[in-house]
Amino acid sequence: MTLTLALQLAIAGISVGSIYALVALAIVIPFKASGVLNFGQGEIVTFGAYAALVLTQLALPYPVVLIGVLLLGAMGGIVIERVLVRPIVKAPEFTLVIATFAIGLLIKGAISIHFGDSPNSIDGPFGSDPIVAAGLRFNPTSLWIFACTVLVTFGVIAFFRYTRLGKAMRAVSVNADAARLMGIRVERVYRWSWAISTAIGALAGLLVAPLIGINPEIGQLILRGLLGAVLGGFTSVGGAIVGGLAVGLIETFAGVLVGSTFKNLVPFLLLMALLVFRPQGLFGAAEIKRV
Amino acid sequence: MNDCLAIEALTVRFGGLVAVRDLSLRVAPGEIRGLIGPNGAGKTTLINAITGAVPIAAGAVRLNGERVSGLSPHAISRRGIGRTFQHVEPFGELSVLDNVLVGIGRRMHVSFGAAALATPNARRCESDAVREALGILERFDLLSYARMPAARLPFGVLKQMDLARALSARPMLLLMDEPTAGMSEAEADRAIAAARALAESEGMTLIVVEHNMRVMMALAHTVSVMQNGVLIAEGTPAEIQRNRTVIDAYLGEETPDVVH
Amino acid sequence: MRPRIGSWLPILVIVALAAAASTLRSYPVYLLSLAMINIVAAVGLNLLTGNSGQISLCHSSFIAIGAYTSTLLTAKFGLPFWATIPCGAVAAAALGAVLGAPASRLRGIYLALATLGFLQIVQIAIEEFANVTGGVRGLIVAKPTIGGIRIGDYARFLVVLGCCAFAVWTARNLLASRVGRELDAVRQSPHAAQALGVSLQRVKLGAFALAAAYAGLAGGLQAIVVGFIDPVEFGVSAALRQITFIVVGGMGSVAGSIIGAAVLSGLPEVLRPVKEYSDVIYIAILLGFLIFMPHGLVTAWDAAKRRWRGLPQSPVAEAAR
Repeated sequence: MTLTLALQLAIAGISVGSIYALVALAIVIPFKASGVLNFGQGEIVTFGAYAALVLTQLALPYPVVLIGVLLLGAMGGIVIERVLVRPIVKAPEFTLVIATFAIGLLIKGAISIHFGDSPNSIDGPFGSDPIVAAGLRFNPTSLWIFACTVLVTFGVIAFFRYTRLGKAMRAVSVNADAARLMGIRVERVYRWSWAISTAIGALAGLLVAPLIGINPEIGQLILRGLLGAVLGGFTSVGGAIVGGLAVGLIETFAGVLVGSTFKNLVPFLLLMALLVFRPQGLFGAAEIKRV
Repeated sequence: MNDCLAIEALTVRFGGLVAVRDLSLRVAPGEIRGLIGPNGAGKTTLINAITGAVPIAAGAVRLNGERVSGLSPHAISRRGIGRTFQHVEPFGELSVLDNVLVGIGRRMHVSFGAAALATPNARRCESDAVREALGILERFDLLSYARMPAARLPFGVLKQMDLARALSARPMLLLMDEPTAGMSEAEADRAIAAARALAESEGMTLIVVEHNMRVMMALAHTVSVMQNGVLIAEGTPAEIQRNRTVIDAYLGEETPDVVH
Repeated sequence: MRPRIGSWLPILVIVALAAAASTLRSYPVYLLSLAMINIVAAVGLNLLTGNSGQISLCHSSFIAIGAYTSTLLTAKFGLPFWATIPCGAVAAAALGAVLGAPASRLRGIYLALATLGFLQIVQIAIEEFANVTGGVRGLIVAKPTIGGIRIGDYARFLVVLGCCAFAVWTARNLLASRVGRELDAVRQSPHAAQALGVSLQRVKLGAFALAAAYAGLAGGLQAIVVGFIDPVEFGVSAALRQITFIVVGGMGSVAGSIIGAAVLSGLPEVLRPVKEYSDVIYIAILLGFLIFMPHGLVTAWDAAKRRWRGLPQSPVAEAAR
């Protein structure tokens, strides 16, 4: 493997890893806040991609599409939290896992029914002609994805550190009852944690659409996102991002080293190995509890 | 070494907190040992450590000379250590009879296949076990509750069931964690008399954590006193009642209920 | 022991089904067969999830393993179905144990993730080893024969009926025995179970293998009834459907498995006019039950039985009201 190839692969890995990182982030945020793992997050990404499709077909300029997708994603999250998650938030873990899983499949089913299964696509905001620099080829869409991921990461970190709602969210994730006693409206925090998470997930859908097309199966990449979240330890923004990027890199390099037959198996074998040997991932605490 | 239970320099840590520190204890076979101490002394932690429910940072636990510390909890139970729980931990959806049958379960020689196919041998083992369980329930005056799901029952009844269940496993050493909590005076006396009678007839060794001093003094041969994870006194009930250190421990301290 | 009507009821049902099926046309018989296959699978999943409390998102993978194993053994070695279907169940059980070894140490979302990962691994394996499994195009199943002679549709129905009865009977036996009590104990109070000498690890791993065995049996039966193996049947939607059976029916009891599988097996037929919506409707039903009737339809069945016998209502039913 030459250096150029390795670097090129690394670029590809980081660009696809950025998507996984966003998905992992979208999973970790409501998990930290309310202890609910949204197994339907993949379908939020699909939803985002189709929302982008619809808005683009309305001939709206890209920045408007972007904001539209974020808003629609956030609204979707608020609706889901209110209607489907709130009634069962106190239920046993089994119910929550199955319910969020089911919600995801519901979204996918609805999308399938409405749009059909045939693939669609939209263009990236900066075209698809590769940018050549330092002997390496960069896909402008990939650069844009990476830039967005970096922005979102810093945005989320700043949100948690400097805004009142962000600090309230951190308080709730540590001890919801104590937070309630301190006057924090915990239900409002849950609602916003979901809204933020689904907005990020929908954004990931918009971003990834030019790369892989738009079809109801996009949601499958939640598994990579989950792997990234597990790798990162489920407990921190940084962990989710690093985890997602790592998964992207591993997947890209595995594809070259292991061949296409087994390339798809690698993430899942890695997931199983992690769950068996180190479920807390790279950065998580050793004792794993539901909040 | 003819101790039933020997605890050697046991230390149990939870993160930075030392719940049990360098504790050594010896219990003779057939002895009834009381274990008392103010809240937060580490009594339940000690029991959890003996039964393997929490990991041990240092030291060892030996049952009849053989090391049991480090084994998995179910293996320790099979060596002959049983326990009752402060908060009962019932199998809530199972009937009282079924709860006790779980205790008998490991003595039932029914293979998986035999159970699935309901062979005559399996059915005989089951009816034998049921008969034995009903006998135990009768001794604890629980027969009328036999078919009721445990979750429905008042706490005092559950404590009886917990004891019956632990005894049905025929342990050599039984650790009882506040067995009379939640019972009326009369119930407590009955339960303790039953436990003592059983212990003596079966040759069981008992370690009893209790807050009810009256019960403790009537029941125990020897009493060990813990405070803040260490043993501060040991002796007959009468000696302990007069011991200055013990009195100070109970009166002078306001330890929060951090570890129990 | 007093003989009760209750102990004759199952036999009556079986005889009635057998008799009724001999008069029905082949399509209703086919549907009945599918319903009974679903019951077998549901019984297995309920033991794992309802009794031992372990969530599994990959139950359909073990159905697949049973189906492919029995079909391939017949295709490659010419063995008859009545030998290969049990082999399929054994193969599924073995892989169930392989999954169970690590999975039994996990709980909650981590367990869910592990089973989801296993599901994906099996799906990928089916697709990648297409020269053996037929890949996404599926696999045709040879018609079942005894002694080289093809058995008729009615005989095949009787095979399915027999296997279903066997599955239900063994599950009930297990739940009424030490094994069943340990499954429940491990879920309800792991601490107390261990203190009584029950090995959590062994029981949980055993539950995985047991559930997989039932699923493998269901898979082998499904192969000979449908005549074709389509890998789409073993994906995520199928896994969720399996879970819907036991949630709707009631977790932790064989009656719940039967009720849920029987009631929902009729659903695709009812939904035929709106086939594209069937996935969505399944999910809506599942969500509805999770929110409003988490203990399943079996509570209504139990309440009716108790009223019939003049007994007080059970605490679970009262809590659910």
